[in-house]
Amino acid sequence: MDDRQIIDEFVVESREHLADIESQLLAIENAGVQADPELVNTVFRAVHSVKGAAGFLGFTTVGKLSHDLENVLNLVRNGQLIPDSAVTNVLLRSADQLRTMLDDVDRSNEVDVTDHLTALQAIVAGLLAEESPAAPTASASVASASTPAAFPAQVPTPMAESAPDPAPAPTPVREWVAAPPETPMAQTGPAEPPREEVSHVSSQAAPMQARAADSGQTAQAATVPSSGTTTESNIRVSVTVLDRLMNLAGELVLSRNQLMQTLGSTDLTAMGSVAARVNQVTSELQETIMQTRLQPIGTVFGKFPRVVRDLSATLGKQCELTIEGKEVELDKSIIEAIGDPLTHLIRNAVDHGVERPEDRLRAGKSATGSIALRAFHQAGKVNIQISDDGRGIDAVKLKEKAVGKGLLTPDQAQAMSDREALMLIFRPGFSMAEKVTGVSGRGVGMDVVKTNIERLGGTVTVETELGKGATIHVKLPLTLAIIPSLVVRCGDRRYAIPQPSIRELVRVKAGDAALQIERIKQAEVFRLRGVLLPLVRLADTLDLGVAADAVPSAVHVIVVESGQLRYGMVVDGLCDSEEIVVKPLGRHMKGCTCLAGATVLGDGNVALILDITGIASYAGLRVSEEDAAAEELAGDASAETQSLLLFSNHPEEHFGVPMEVVARLERVRTEQIDSVGGQQILQYRGGTLPLLSLEQCINCKPRPPASKEYVVVFTAAGREVGLIVPELLDIRSVSTQIDTLTFREPGVAGSLVYEQKTIRWVDIHELARKIHPDWYAPQAPPQTPEGSPPRILVAEDSDFFRKQLTAFLESDGYEILACEDGAVAWNALQEPGSHFDLVVTDIEMPNLDGLGLVRNIRKDSRLASIPVIAVTSLAGEDDVRRGREVGVTEYHVKLDREVLMAAVGRMIKASHKKPARSVT
Amino acid sequence: MTTLLAPSPASASTEGLEIATFYLEDALLGIPIEQVEEINHHVELTPVPHAPASVCGVINLRGHVVTVIDLRTVLGLAPGVITRGTCNVVVRWRGEQIGLLVDRVGDVVYAGRKEIEEPPANVAGTDGRFFRGVYKMEGSLLVILDVEQALSVDLSAE
Repeated sequence: MDDRQIIDEFVVESREHLADIESQLLAIENAGVQADPELVNTVFRAVHSVKGAAGFLGFTTVGKLSHDLENVLNLVRNGQLIPDSAVTNVLLRSADQLRTMLDDVDRSNEVDVTDHLTALQAIVAGLLAEESPAAPTASASVASASTPAAFPAQVPTPMAESAPDPAPAPTPVREWVAAPPETPMAQTGPAEPPREEVSHVSSQAAPMQARAADSGQTAQAATVPSSGTTTESNIRVSVTVLDRLMNLAGELVLSRNQLMQTLGSTDLTAMGSVAARVNQVTSELQETIMQTRLQPIGTVFGKFPRVVRDLSATLGKQCELTIEGKEVELDKSIIEAIGDPLTHLIRNAVDHGVERPEDRLRAGKSATGSIALRAFHQAGKVNIQISDDGRGIDAVKLKEKAVGKGLLTPDQAQAMSDREALMLIFRPGFSMAEKVTGVSGRGVGMDVVKTNIERLGGTVTVETELGKGATIHVKLPLTLAIIPSLVVRCGDRRYAIPQPSIRELVRVKAGDAALQIERIKQAEVFRLRGVLLPLVRLADTLDLGVAADAVPSAVHVIVVESGQLRYGMVVDGLCDSEEIVVKPLGRHMKGCTCLAGATVLGDGNVALILDITGIASYAGLRVSEEDAAAEELAGDASAETQSLLLFSNHPEEHFGVPMEVVARLERVRTEQIDSVGGQQILQYRGGTLPLLSLEQCINCKPRPPASKEYVVVFTAAGREVGLIVPELLDIRSVSTQIDTLTFREPGVAGSLVYEQKTIRWVDIHELARKIHPDWYAPQAPPQTPEGSPPRILVAEDSDFFRKQLTAFLESDGYEILACEDGAVAWNALQEPGSHFDLVVTDIEMPNLDGLGLVRNIRKDSRLASIPVIAVTSLAGEDDVRRGREVGVTEYHVKLDREVLMAAVGRMIKASHKKPARSVT
Repeated sequence: MTTLLAPSPASASTEGLEIATFYLEDALLGIPIEQVEEINHHVELTPVPHAPASVCGVINLRGHVVTVIDLRTVLGLAPGVITRGTCNVVVRWRGEQIGLLVDRVGDVVYAGRKEIEEPPANVAGTDGRFFRGVYKMEGSLLVILDVEQALSVDLSAE
């Protein structure tokens, strides 16, 4: 063993000794007089061992500091000193300093520890002043008796005088080791090497001061200089595990020998048994090696009591931290990486979560806030929960703040659910703090926490109840190195999906997937036991450009979970379940957020590992979650939306038709479509269905040839007509912000932008009218008994629908007054001399809504008999009932032009048949 | 003493470079041989969705997943097809192994440093910024590739 090894060993050991010192010191402080003597002894022994070894190796500064620390601990051990928080502070800071020096032990002798020494000695001295003069000898003798290779008892006094600490110039270690251990340490006299003032000592002291003020932040800084040492990459493995490994290696050798023997023979059963054996040994070997990498999460949790204590002291709060699940084991690499994010979350809990004692008392809580840190295994993952019983997170305030910072538009904020609002705290540049404190609220934070945790393959979510507290859930994989995965096929490539993110596999038979509308819904949303799941087609998401199998025998849906989002992923086939070794992808692929890495499969081919979270955000599923929320909202319809069937004719051109006009959807083979006399028809249910295709009616690219087509069936002029649609995309609720100019042509009512795509709104009736004008026999223009065209008042707030309605009605020969809301309509109705034969009104309108308008009309004796048609984009039974109650004559869906026009015609006639209109 | 242990830049410039050469279409290119880790015929590529255009996929190189770059794309040439001659020149770049797909490999050429000239702005219809220099050989021109430049071109996230 050379010197380097001895020193490394020393550092590792000393670190271990000091690992728990924080929590132990805190426990001693908390226990006060009742401190467990065994605990005090443990701490004492730990520091003592460090001192002994440091002295042996010539790390004098480490030796001095641990010596003084030991002196104080000794007083505690003897019951002469009950550490209060000030004393504990000094002890903690000294322990910190020891650890910092250990991180760069070769230069530890250059570090100035005077402050610590003075503080420690002051504690001893202070006690001496109070106590009887006999005390010093007692304590000193104990120290010297129990420290054979250490400082003589007199040392403290001369050192206290010799501040600023004269650190000896670094001396080659070999010399120290060769020398008898006692020599350099035991003598403080002239025999000691010449001491020199080291000029950069003061620069070392500065960060130490900062550390006291903000321990968490400097903990990061402190690890930086340690990069020079190699000790971090060491790991301690228990001998039992090593023995098992050795044993397994032996087994493997045996199996190999057997394999070699059987290779020559043709005995397949023998071969089989050897293979089985190799298989077993390999898996066990793998498992055991994995175990060597696992470490208890307690090593990370250990520092948190200190963090909470220091921080609450700084902030004037009272917090109590309970820790559960220290023994939960995680891969070393994860343990190392999780420290900083967890520290941040803990600090947040103290800083933002727990209120000041006075506020807590006012809120009827105990003055001391409690923070709970809990680790546990669940479903192959390690869960860490950080909960506090503080003020909770106010979603409304978050939204306001996000709007203030320009992260959200007010509209977006309005539409956002509370759960989504909570996720705002993970946005870059977002701070929860009301004001920037020294502790947090510096703008870097939760987004980094989230990125770091996600980089580890984990997820982080928030739960909160205002006034009651908040809980942060962190889910981490056990290890990063090997993960069980499901290998799936898409196109001719295979991909691996980490097993932990898979909830279930669903195979939907082609028959069940039907040719009907359900199937279309399935293309985007998948109904699984009554729950709608968004669906992602892997081939599309990865732009594989693979044409979907013409007639898939079944649809494979993999239900995956990422955070709180669950979705279905459609793949072409399932291959195998494999344990895969994760290999990182090169720098060039940094931008591939859908991929988590790559792996080499059993056959030597590379398979890419899918990143479930990345795919969700790439496919915009978060957005669709918001959509779902918006759709829920649409139930009470504060925002006007319209459900559109989206499809493309040519892959580059997108279209939509309102769902209300669609009677049904059919899937047909191309050869079923006949072309007769320039007209396309479909042999269908024993009859023929006239078909339209978009390129025949409007300006658009022709559809690519295909073996199968969809047919959207609708009713026009009392007949069924089909529109040929090569590809159905989705059914989505879209806002009715519709541009009625740019793409306007007969058959296209307007256009809207949805998910960065321009979607042309197809007016199916206009299409039919354009191609089959003969179906629409010219009707005699409607007339009132007086011979003038009937007047209709239209109230509708959406520009698009108002124009549509007006155009429909005018083209049938009515005279229209269009009003943009109920109030305007009401004024128009009350205008002296005005007369309307019919009112067509929207329900949802600003200022005065449709129901209000109808109520007003019915109350007014002059107007009470006017028939009213309410039009709405969604007519639920409730809406209809409410409408009837206030006096709506009929309810119709806005876009079903034919039905609506029929109703208008009928009502106008009916109103004219009435003997007299109540005109006075 | 020092010159014996490590050649100073001055003495190195008088020496030459061993250059592994390869062809892209008819253009002869080369990489200093110390940058080349291996050359193989490993072209069973797994394409990577959403990767930059120059990345033609990844391969399994004895258990390591190695990015393979299509040099043609980097240099702005028309994409080629994989033939029997297609080779993978594996270089180390920023600590990572990268395969460069080339049409076929040539000899190792020794070029005196003095004979290596500054590259013209435009060589054989490709972008000159990826070249470290040109070396005139009998009947042909060897263009020395600047690997660092060529591989940095499509780094999306850095």
